[in-house]
Amino acid sequence: MDKTTHFGFKDVATEDKQNLVRGVFDSVASKYDLMNDVLSFGAHRLWKRYTIASSNVKTGDKVLDIAGGTGDLAIEFRKKVGESGHVILSDINAAMLGEGRKNLTNKGVFGVDFVQLNAQYLPFDDNTFDCVSIAFGLRNVTDKDQALREMCRILKPGGCLLILEFSKTDSELLKKFYDFYSFNVMPKLGGIIADDEDSYQYLAESIRKHPDQETLKDMVLDAGFGFCEYHNLSGGIVALHKGIKA
Amino acid sequence: MQHFVLEQALNFLIQNGAIDLKPLDQKIIKFSLQDLPLDVNFVCTNERIFVLNDTNKPSDVDICLNASVFFALFKGENLTELLRQDKIIIHGDVKTAQLLVDLLKTVDIDLEEVLSQYSGDIIAHEAGKIAKTFKQATQESTNPLDAIKDGLSDLLISPKVSELYKNKHS
Repeated sequence: MDKTTHFGFKDVATEDKQNLVRGVFDSVASKYDLMNDVLSFGAHRLWKRYTIASSNVKTGDKVLDIAGGTGDLAIEFRKKVGESGHVILSDINAAMLGEGRKNLTNKGVFGVDFVQLNAQYLPFDDNTFDCVSIAFGLRNVTDKDQALREMCRILKPGGCLLILEFSKTDSELLKKFYDFYSFNVMPKLGGIIADDEDSYQYLAESIRKHPDQETLKDMVLDAGFGFCEYHNLSGGIVALHKGIKA
Repeated sequence: MQHFVLEQALNFLIQNGAIDLKPLDQKIIKFSLQDLPLDVNFVCTNERIFVLNDTNKPSDVDICLNASVFFALFKGENLTELLRQDKIIIHGDVKTAQLLVDLLKTVDIDLEEVLSQYSGDIIAHEAGKIAKTFKQATQESTNPLDAIKDGLSDLLISPKVSELYKNKHS
């Protein structure tokens, strides 16, 4: 692995990124859902809904949600797999996982397991899951290729990987608005609502450093998936990549 | 978008036992229209179907036909007869092709609307078409609200393959 990696626009030692990202999410965990609603004007709920609908998850399936945070996807997956299925909500960050546990309990959702884990080293046997999802988490992973290989390993043949992540818009007009919004409005709102302007500055920067749609598609295929396709949402601000293990 | 709707409809039927996918397990079927830029790949695996734009994998069966034959097929024309008349070209296992055609016939989806996207027509009744697909799901689902929400979300976020990237090769 390279000795340095990016943390937003900064170059940092590879071994430091995980702690820096942890700092961001420790700071924003309690306001995470509120900030998502405010910053995306509620659109993140629609993006996640589309992700769930695209999963083809059915009764009895085993699903792992990585970087699952406050549990939005896990709640919906739990409904889909039913009593005979199994959903694991995971996150590297204990504070986020705690918020997820609280959120599910408050909503009366039970039967979901919680695991604190690093996406680069998934503690599961080969060919275990029917679906693995990671929503707005991959860009924070230090070694994305390693994480994608791990996701492929633990999926059953025919299993489906869903990566919902910020991406690149191909509309010049939208890009101008989005750039202005991300670098001028988002950090300010983060400062006002979550009392943390720096974390939302990092959010904007990390999105720009994340691979574009085609690059990520190639990474998914290189990780061992037999098929990969993506769909742009909201003009490419967000993309859903869907990999299928051959 | 159309692939998404078709995939949802097929998998809904599979889950509800209306379609037996076992005979098609592990099959990749490429479906192309000669006169329209439509290539659809049906990947049958893990007891479900994925409908993809393209794959790097070789298909088990290639089905190639033109749009008018496509409609005829789904309005009841016999596949064997169309094959005999050389109106459909099939490379690979004809039995697998027949199974796919039978499967597609069971889906309540407006195929003319699906094709209108590729022929350059304006989709004037997008909402109506999706509503039609989800109407059946709503009627049969144990949780009709979920089906409606899925359809509504789909309409609102309007996913599509990026124009910028669509001609790039991986």
